[in-house]
Amino acid sequence: MDRPNTDKGQSLWSDAWRRLKTNRIAMVCLGIIVLFTLCALYGEVVHQYYQAKDQTPFYKLTNLDAAYRPPSAAHWMGTDALGRDVMQRLIQGTRIAYKVGIITSLIAIPIGVFLGCLAGYFGGRVDDFIVWLYSTFASIPGLLFILAIAMVVGRGLTGVYLGIGLTTWVGICRLIRGEVIKHKEQAYVQAAHALGLSWPRILFRHILPNVFHVIIVTFTLRFPAAVGTEVFMSFLGIGVQNDPSWGIMINSARMRLWQGVWWEMTFVTLAIFLLVLAFNLLGDALRDALDPRLRTGGN
Amino acid sequence: MPNYIVKRMLQMIPTVLGVILITFILFNVAGGSPALKVMGPHAQADTLEAFDEQRGFNKPLFFGFRTKTRALEDSDFERTAGDWLKQDGVTHTNGMIVLAEGGSYSIPLKFSLRDDCEYELVMEGRTDGFPMLGKNKLGFSRDWKKVTLRLQTPGKIVPVDAPVEIRSIRLRRLMNSPFDSQLLFYFRQLARLDFGVSHSTNQRVSKLLADGIVPSLMLTVPIFFIGLVTSIALSLFCAFWRDTWVDRFFVILSVALMSINYLVYIVAGQYFLAFKADWFPVWGFEDARYLALPVLIGVISGLGGSLRFYRTIMLDEAHRDYVRTARAKGVSKSRVLFRHVLKNAMIPIITNVVIAIPFLYTGSLLLESFFGIPGLGYLGITAINSSDVDVVRGIVLIGAFMFVIANLLTDICYAAVDPRVKLK
Repeated sequence: MDRPNTDKGQSLWSDAWRRLKTNRIAMVCLGIIVLFTLCALYGEVVHQYYQAKDQTPFYKLTNLDAAYRPPSAAHWMGTDALGRDVMQRLIQGTRIAYKVGIITSLIAIPIGVFLGCLAGYFGGRVDDFIVWLYSTFASIPGLLFILAIAMVVGRGLTGVYLGIGLTTWVGICRLIRGEVIKHKEQAYVQAAHALGLSWPRILFRHILPNVFHVIIVTFTLRFPAAVGTEVFMSFLGIGVQNDPSWGIMINSARMRLWQGVWWEMTFVTLAIFLLVLAFNLLGDALRDALDPRLRTGGN
Repeated sequence: MPNYIVKRMLQMIPTVLGVILITFILFNVAGGSPALKVMGPHAQADTLEAFDEQRGFNKPLFFGFRTKTRALEDSDFERTAGDWLKQDGVTHTNGMIVLAEGGSYSIPLKFSLRDDCEYELVMEGRTDGFPMLGKNKLGFSRDWKKVTLRLQTPGKIVPVDAPVEIRSIRLRRLMNSPFDSQLLFYFRQLARLDFGVSHSTNQRVSKLLADGIVPSLMLTVPIFFIGLVTSIALSLFCAFWRDTWVDRFFVILSVALMSINYLVYIVAGQYFLAFKADWFPVWGFEDARYLALPVLIGVISGLGGSLRFYRTIMLDEAHRDYVRTARAKGVSKSRVLFRHVLKNAMIPIITNVVIAIPFLYTGSLLLESFFGIPGLGYLGITAINSSDVDVVRGIVLIGAFMFVIANLLTDICYAAVDPRVKLK
C-alpha cells in the first residue's frame, strides 16, 4: 500500500513534489541546478567583496607568465590568454547568467501575468487591447527586437535585461490569459462573486494561486532561453562589457582553439550545456508533475 | 469566403499600426536623437542638425509648437559662459554673463538660422539701461526678468547706458504647423515605402535590404527544407518505434541538441569539419560549396526542437480512434502511419511551417556573420554594432510585416480547408 497518508500533504505542491521525486532524471537536474546556484552565489559574494574593497578582483588580474596553462592542480581548468584562472571566470560567468535569467524573468513574468490576468478576467475591450498588444510584440522578429532594444539602451547588462525582459512576456501572457478564461467560469469564482468580493481580490487571491504552476513552469523553461540569448549577445559585443560572461569567454577562446588551447572552450561549452539541459529537463518534469494534462510526449 | 478575407485583412491594420508605433517609440522616443551616438561628441553642430533634418529628428515627437535647435545650447551660465567669452567686453561671474556697455554683442550661434521659420528667444536678465536686440527693445529692467522675443534673424545685443547681465538663455525653433511632428514624418516616409538612408554606407536602406535578401534566402531556404524533411521523417520513425529504445534515444538526443548553444555548433563545425578535416571552406561566399557547412550547422541546430515538436504531433494523432479502427481492420502499422497519421498531422505541421516562413527572411544572424555571407542577418548585426538606426528599423519593420502577412495567409488557408473557422 503506497497510497499517501491522507492526513498530511495533499496540497497540489506536495503532490507534485511526490511525483517529481520519483523522476530520477529530474532529481539529477535539480542537483545540477543547486550546484550551479551555489557557484553563482559564491561568485556574487566574491564580486561584492572586491567591489566593496574597490579592488580589481583576482579573476580579472592578468599574469602573462601563466598564460595558456593546461589544467593542473593549481588551475583545475587551466588559464586563458592573459593568465587568468578559467574556473574562477567560469564561476563569474555563472553569476552573470543567473542574474540575466532572474532579472529578465522579474521583468517579463510580472508584465505577462498582470496583462494576461486582466485580459482573461475582463474580456471585451480590455482583452482586445491586450491581445492587440501582444500580437504586435509577437510579430516583430524576436532576436532583432532584443538587439534593437539593447542598441537603443546602450551596451551593457541593462541593455540585455531590458531587451530580453521586454520582449519575452508574450508567451506567458497568452498562457495566463487562457487559464484565467477557463477558471473564470468555475464554481469557486462564481461563489467569490456572489460574496461580493472586489475584482482584484478575486483575480489575485483566488484565481492567481490556481494558475501559479504555469508561472513556475514558464520560469524554468525561459531561464535557459534567456541565458542562451545573453551568451549570444555578449559574444557579439552588444551584451556584457567588462565582466567574464560566458559569451565573452567563448569569443576569446575560439581564437585560440585553432592553436590547440582546448580547455577554455571545452569547459565553457560544458557549463552552458549542463545548465541549459538541466533547466530544460526539469521544466518538462515540472510540467508533467504539476499539470498532468499538459504532458509532452507519449510515455 | 471573400467576406472572411476582407474581414481578416481589416484585422491586420491594427497590428501593422502597432508595429509602426512600437518601432517609433523604440527608436524616436526611447532612443532620442541618434545623431550624437552616431557621430560622436566632437561633431559639428551643423552636421548633427543636417543628420536630424534628413531623418526628421529635429521636430517635436508627436505634436508641438516649438522644437529644440542645435544652433544655441540652453545655458544658465552656472559653470561656463561658453562661446560668449570670445567677444571682447563679456565677463562671466556668479552664474551670469555681463555685457559691458559701449559694445555690440552677437549671440554665438553655431550655424546661421533657417530663414523659412521663426525662432523664439527666451532670456533672463537685468540692466539699468535700455538695451536693444537688433531693432527690438530688449525690455529688461532693474530686477531679474524673463523676456521672450520672436525673431527671424537675431541682430546684435547693444547695451545702452548700462551693462547688461544675463542669467539664462535658450533658443527654440517655432514650427509652422504643430502637427509637423516626427510621427507624421515617419508615417509619410513609410507611405512612400522609404525606409531611410544608412548613415554608415550612405545607401538607401531599401537597396541594402534588396541586396541582402538573396544571400539570406540561399542560406535559409535549404536549411528550412532539409530540416523540415529530416525532422518529419525522424518523427515518423519515432512514432513507428514509440516506447522502444529507438524512440527514447531520439527523445534524449533532441533535448541534448536543444541544449547546445548555437555558438558552440558554429565554433565546433568550423573547427572540426572545416579546419581539422578540411571538408568545407572555413569562411566566405563564392559558390555553393561555401554554403554547405552553414546549411549543415543550421539544420542540426534546429533539429532538436522541431523533432520534439513533430514527434508530439505524430503521437497525438497516433492515439486517435481512427488509428485504432484502421489497425483493427488489419491495415499495417506503416501504412497507417504514412497514409492516415501523416495526412491528419499535416494541419499543425502546415501552421508551423507557414509561421516559420517570415523568419527565413531575416536569415540567421549568427551563421551569416560567422561565415561572411552578406545577407540580412549580417547587415543587421553590422547595423546594430554601428548604431545604424534606419537599417535596423527597416529590417525590423519588413520582418514584422512579413510575419503579419504570413499569419493572414495561414488563416485564409484554414478557412478554405475548414468552414467552421469562418464562423468564429
